[in-house]
Amino acid sequence: MGSKFGGDFLVRARNVTKKYDELRAVDDVSVEIRPGEIFALLGPNGAGKTTLIGCITGLITGFEGTIEMAGFDVVDDYRVTRRLVGLVPQELNYDAFFSVRQVLEFQAGYFGVKPSPERVESLLEQFSLLDKADANTRWLSGGMKRRLMICKALMHDPVLLFLDEPTAGVDVELRDELWQYVRNLRDQGMTIVLTTHYLEEAERLADRVGIINRGRLLRVDARESLMDEFGRRHLDVTLKHGDARTWAQKFGELNVEAVDDSMLRLHYATGDSNVNQLLQVLVGQGAEISDIETGRSSLEEIFRTLLREDAEEVSEGGAR
Amino acid sequence: MKDESTEGRELGMPPQEAAAAARTRIDALVEVAEKKHFTGPWTLFYKEILRFWNIAGQTIVSPVITTMLYFLVFGYSLGDRLQEIQGIPYVDFLVPGLVMLALISNAYINSAFSLFIAKVHGTIVDLLVTPLTYTQFLTAYVSAAVVRAMLIGLIIWVVSLLMGATAWFNIPLALLFMFLTALTFAFIGVVIAIIGEDFDHINLLPNFLITPLTFLGGVFYSIEMLPEPWDTISLFNPVLYMVNGVRYGMVGVSDVPVWHGLVLLVAMNLFFGGLALWLLKTGKKLRE
Repeated sequence: MGSKFGGDFLVRARNVTKKYDELRAVDDVSVEIRPGEIFALLGPNGAGKTTLIGCITGLITGFEGTIEMAGFDVVDDYRVTRRLVGLVPQELNYDAFFSVRQVLEFQAGYFGVKPSPERVESLLEQFSLLDKADANTRWLSGGMKRRLMICKALMHDPVLLFLDEPTAGVDVELRDELWQYVRNLRDQGMTIVLTTHYLEEAERLADRVGIINRGRLLRVDARESLMDEFGRRHLDVTLKHGDARTWAQKFGELNVEAVDDSMLRLHYATGDSNVNQLLQVLVGQGAEISDIETGRSSLEEIFRTLLREDAEEVSEGGAR
Repeated sequence: MKDESTEGRELGMPPQEAAAAARTRIDALVEVAEKKHFTGPWTLFYKEILRFWNIAGQTIVSPVITTMLYFLVFGYSLGDRLQEIQGIPYVDFLVPGLVMLALISNAYINSAFSLFIAKVHGTIVDLLVTPLTYTQFLTAYVSAAVVRAMLIGLIIWVVSLLMGATAWFNIPLALLFMFLTALTFAFIGVVIAIIGEDFDHINLLPNFLITPLTFLGGVFYSIEMLPEPWDTISLFNPVLYMVNGVRYGMVGVSDVPVWHGLVLLVAMNLFFGGLALWLLKTGKKLRE
């Protein structure tokens, strides 16, 4: 048995590798989760996010390396560590034999918690499922099934909640409600790890972000640091007279390029004043603007940047 | 972009109040988590019982009716021609065979189907993340399967008695054989559900192994009635020993020594129970 929790980290994963034949789904990942933080694991589909949280939650065994939770080993002391965790899996599931209420009562019971009707109803109410309490779970819509899965993961009141792609296939309204709910949970002392491939989700919620690709955790940093470094934005200005290439020459100190004859593109980092400068010059010197659009570097671009850096490091013989 | 969560925290750190609240909750929950309890396995067992009980028409009534049809057709219409086997009226001789016919298939199908459907529908994840130990998990599944199989077996037995059969030679021994047989096939069901990848795999075993072995295992006849070499070959059929053990308990006759059946059943339970536990512990097919 491990020692009682008193350390800086709720989860400590050390050199975790999970292989499927030749494929390294998780490749030598070391990461820590702090108590009370919202940690976003960001990566494209198939990056290893689900496998990594599977290893931590006990869903996947047979990995190399060690994972400790509150000082307990997730393999040797699984009885303790699994009691601490709630998991909302990515794949929608339902139990065709039972009602929403029964499913929640059973889920609490598996964790040794005697389910109170108040607990069930309060969760169902928070997730707008109260009117479905006695419906068979098979008749719920996709969004309702997703909400029920979140209720299930919370029934035993865990300290660490894993949300695997929580907003996949969820409409905007529910997504915003869910984000607010996640923040509230954290304020009450829940530690939250979410996986996502939406940059915005990580940006809106997370204290720290881990970027994972092809099983490797490329970077873990404060959300703001990552966004400042990689979250480049651009402003596209369409000019009426098709003289964008001439205009592009006039902004030596700004990162401006002509995309084609009529469009100028300014690259800038969030928060700097280059947009103002560009527009002032254009308007001041009599350019006729027909359209303005802003955009941001996509997740793919950020990955490409990181992967390029990663590949350079490896080719220089740098230690991983 | 609005930074709702930036205030009151250092860069990359959670807000201090949240971190403090988290530490308090972790300490409290670790204390709870270390305590042993039986609510978990009991809940799973209860859920598994409810699963078949809620659809008792399919899971209890239907197999009972099917088996009683055998009893009527074989016992009363054809039974008149067969008269007696080993000095026992054919109707009575048939009762243990029919009890075992239903008991074996239902013990297997309950655990195999229930666990496999949880895999197919993805709800197995909800169980795999719980603190249930592997032994508790296995016990809950097989116990529910044994309850269903014993229930069906007992109903058939009692209804047969009500219909005039005489089959109560050694009730505890009959119950022991029924229980051990149900347990064996419940374990087999769990093993097949874990390693099976589609419904065909689940149906393969009853269709091509369990049902043939049961029919050839002396359900309807004594192996003394078979010509050489079939009577000798029948001795390699494990179901024969199970059926004859129950038959001895019910009507007092058996083709094979009763203790052979007991030894075989204990060995099969150890083997398949051990295999199921090993699969669960190693996580093969379930936690990969």
